[in-house]
Amino acid sequence: MSVTDSAATTASAPAARKLTTARAIAEGIAQEMERDTSVFVLGEDIGKYGGIFSATTGLLDKFGPERVIDTPISETAFIGLGTGAAVEGMRPIVELMFADFFGVAMDQIYNHMAKICFESGGNVRVPMVLMMAAGGGYSDAAQHSQCLWGTFAHLPGMKVVVPSNPADAKGLMISAIRDDNPVVYMFHKGVMGLPWMAKNPRSIAPVAEEPYETPIGQAAVAREGGDATVVTVSLSVHHALDVAEQLSAEHGIELEVIDLRSLVPLDREAVLTSVAKTGHLLVVDEDYQSFGLSGEIAATVAETDPGLLRAPVRRVAVPDVPIPYARSLESAVLPTRERIKAAARELVGA
Amino acid sequence: MSEVRFPELSKEQPDAEGVLATWFVNDGDQVASGQLLGEVMVDKASGDVLAPAAGRVRLLVAEEQAARQGTVIATVE
Repeated sequence: MSVTDSAATTASAPAARKLTTARAIAEGIAQEMERDTSVFVLGEDIGKYGGIFSATTGLLDKFGPERVIDTPISETAFIGLGTGAAVEGMRPIVELMFADFFGVAMDQIYNHMAKICFESGGNVRVPMVLMMAAGGGYSDAAQHSQCLWGTFAHLPGMKVVVPSNPADAKGLMISAIRDDNPVVYMFHKGVMGLPWMAKNPRSIAPVAEEPYETPIGQAAVAREGGDATVVTVSLSVHHALDVAEQLSAEHGIELEVIDLRSLVPLDREAVLTSVAKTGHLLVVDEDYQSFGLSGEIAATVAETDPGLLRAPVRRVAVPDVPIPYARSLESAVLPTRERIKAAARELVGA
Repeated sequence: MSEVRFPELSKEQPDAEGVLATWFVNDGDQVASGQLLGEVMVDKASGDVLAPAAGRVRLLVAEEQAARQGTVIATVE
């Protein structure tokens, strides 16, 4: 294809401005920092380096080292610092470089950040964002590839948001910053639109320039369809959309894809509404299968009205093993397009 | 007409070859001065390509295509 013979030559008004998810997150943070001087950012390599997955690129130049703080490698110390600052009325955004690293700081996260509001009878708020990278698919092995959003969602006291695209990433970041509760903000590395990762066209999309909120706890219908509901989140939304396009073209099967966007609060209504329409439910989750999101979604339907289902629920998730380093083994456990497609076809008997 | 050149990401090798990673605009779009047009990469270092002036952008290099630093990759008319 020649890039010079595009049909877009007739455009006269400026086209909708496109951003990668990483740039959309950084823009959301920057706009909130301009609006509210109590917002600041801290974490490992978030300043000079701009964030290892570029979620904070450009912020140090704009706001300086007092509001964009590179920390030493002690997750316990800087997450505790964030919690303390939030309790005192500031609005910190703390980046934990990889979700996998939560272990060394779990007491700060689930015993302090998540419980202070409850333990104070609602008198002390913790308006903090704990942002972190999640997910695999690029051979980063068992300690740098996990999603773990089910773990955070399981423990009470934290909201958990997981955007899949640039527009939601900006809106959910702004909502998370303005929220008076601690919000765990998890971005999959594969949706960030980074030039050194696998090319993903769905990670670059129009984003409104002005600040806006995307409501936390509200799922989105990423694609409408009448034959089966695919409930999923983050990078798996992209895979599910790809599969939906293939099945539509090849077999005339129309998948409805629900992007949960938030795990806490969970938009159970959106799941039930779609399953009531299609009668078929497939849950796709890049987190571990057992005791997690996929079981929670299935239970939501089973507890409310199992009669909605015309076939048993299917799940495509990571079997309960650590993420392998070898590319062939890693792709065997991840919820790939191939696995999603096979499960969807079995579900509808096609 | 303004030329848009592949930015110098490697100072040691002025003629280093990189890749046009992403265009954020379409060929023929109206762009504002200073608007982000694209992102380029040399090895694993990436850099922004900004519009030098307002006007209609012409993209001369496709995404994923290799280009040397300093070559004209787009124009703004």
